[in-house]
Amino acid sequence: MDLASGLLHGFSVALTPMNLLFGFMGAVIGTIVGILPGLGPLGTMALLLSLTYGFDPTAGMILFAGIYFGAMYGGSTTSILLNIPGEAASVVTVIEGYQMARRGRAGAALAVAAVGSFVAGTISLVGLSFLAPTLAGAALRFGPAEYLAVALVGLVIMSRLTGGSLMRSLMMISIGLALGTVGMETVAGYMRYTFKQPLLAQGIDFLPVAMGLFGISEVLITAEEPVGKAQLQKVRFRELWPTAVEWHRSFWPMLRGSVIGFFVGLIPGPSPVISTMVSYSVEKRLDKHGEFGRGAIEGVAGPEAANNASVGAAYIPLMALGIPFTPAMAVVMAVLLIHGINPGPLLMTEKPDLFWGVIASMYIGNFMLVVFNLPLVGVFANIIRTPLWLLMPIVLLLCLVGVYSVNNSMLDLWLMVGFGLLGYLLRRLRYDLAPLVLALVLGPMMERSFREAMMIGRGDLTVFVRRPISAAILAVGLAVLVLPTLIARARRLLRRAPAT
Amino acid sequence: MNLGPAVFSGVVLLVGLVYGGMALRMPRGSLAYPGPGLFPLAVGALLVATSLGCLAQELRAWRRGRSAAPAPPSAAPEAAPERDRARTVALTALLAGYVLLLKTLGFPLAICAFLAAAIRIFGYRRWAVTLAVALLVTACSYVAFVHWLKVPLPMGLLEDILG
Repeated sequence: MDLASGLLHGFSVALTPMNLLFGFMGAVIGTIVGILPGLGPLGTMALLLSLTYGFDPTAGMILFAGIYFGAMYGGSTTSILLNIPGEAASVVTVIEGYQMARRGRAGAALAVAAVGSFVAGTISLVGLSFLAPTLAGAALRFGPAEYLAVALVGLVIMSRLTGGSLMRSLMMISIGLALGTVGMETVAGYMRYTFKQPLLAQGIDFLPVAMGLFGISEVLITAEEPVGKAQLQKVRFRELWPTAVEWHRSFWPMLRGSVIGFFVGLIPGPSPVISTMVSYSVEKRLDKHGEFGRGAIEGVAGPEAANNASVGAAYIPLMALGIPFTPAMAVVMAVLLIHGINPGPLLMTEKPDLFWGVIASMYIGNFMLVVFNLPLVGVFANIIRTPLWLLMPIVLLLCLVGVYSVNNSMLDLWLMVGFGLLGYLLRRLRYDLAPLVLALVLGPMMERSFREAMMIGRGDLTVFVRRPISAAILAVGLAVLVLPTLIARARRLLRRAPAT
Repeated sequence: MNLGPAVFSGVVLLVGLVYGGMALRMPRGSLAYPGPGLFPLAVGALLVATSLGCLAQELRAWRRGRSAAPAPPSAAPEAAPERDRARTVALTALLAGYVLLLKTLGFPLAICAFLAAAIRIFGYRRWAVTLAVALLVTACSYVAFVHWLKVPLPMGLLEDILG
């Protein structure tokens, strides 16, 4: 199926009433969680993961795509109107967006954020439509050595990008890998770390871990924070249209943000957050008006475009290679795994309805989001007034029922509570949870690929560097791991040299 | 020394040693035919190495902190945001209590009590509204999950009435 017929087929799938409904629901839920500070798209997707068990996998994927895109739209609303980021990828928007709101330009900031999100979302979806099938075609030539190399390098890049200490990230990765080895080993059926508990034979399921680490821990953290009253800036509908000068000043930042977001989205790590920071610093450097820090519209247009573009791009490694590069994509992958579908290069040919249907639904969802985010911004902004005492117990209820519903297992409930507490402690100690979760998802695949590669190579470890694709990928990983340290040392030496 | 991360790294080191020790007792096979113990052994080594690395970092940070000049007395410490830790402890206990009592009490009773307690923990004080919201959300979730989505949640004490 070529691109045009693939997309046409995709639209025929995405435009069925049921899939349209799921796309709409995802967009609404995503916008709401984007607006609500404390509850992000990742936590929400983890919460709803168990519910997708009862849905068609295409509908589940469409729902989650809507949530992910919607959260990027919604996050800007809280940032601009309240000076509080609705979710992590909107932190940068607070700086210029709220200053614009204080100058009475909240409507213009919201409109530029929504239109920028739409433009960037569309650009990244065009990229996804072209790149995912091409990459999937290339990935058909991948063997176990290449898969291991991609997963390994993905984890290495993530540990470099998540911020904080590299050693801490590597420790999180090793914890995730260790958790992934629990259960019955697939080749010989050997029981590992099950402590004679038959329920552990299937291994530690991703669902209770994700719901605990991201859902429960989020509620525990929110419970501790002091409760303040939200002071919303009012926005009238007629104020929503930016002036010609504002449009003109936003045009190039939107395009630059889209390109930056798309390429950052292809890299493992918290790409929506990183892309906004890169875009903001680029726009600040190119600033000609000297308004940055006092409400520069470029500082809203660029980052808001970047975070949406990164979402579309993040789907590429998952859809083409079957390897998630972000925790959110790991949750999306779980939707497929729950239904026994393995994402990867064969997904496009074996499940064309799903592959093209999901991509087409993203175009539709993106359009829906801009249409109802602009006129309904006042309505959505009022969601922030939902009291925590009502919202948080309901979130906990969804966690408790959701995690039980998949396997009807009390063990899953205990695991979720345990990982919730662990997630809370790790976040308080400023550890990043993303490397742990990705390592848990990628660990079993890495072990399987390693064993297969070793069997094919008859125990020769050079199999990983003899194959050109694998060698090139590993070289990138090594460079990412070693170069920053080497450069830093060389700089220190150069600085000391003139002194001595 | 930043005690929290140091203690956590120490715990991971201990876990890594036990984990690696257990991997040593598993069949490792050869490189040509790797057994089930080979990958866990490598992961165990990684756990030990990275936790030792983190411990060393914490120790270095502590030494740097000790050798640095003490702050002038006029410099006021940065005000930490006030956090209500009691709420976290209470919520964790509540979650554990729910899981413990779910089979015995059954979903409707357990979740209703859970919701009422959680609403109180989040600071809402009016009992009548608390109970009304807990009952309403319980009823809605019962209809949605048990009737519509057919989730086989335990009914416990209400098995004869609702089962």
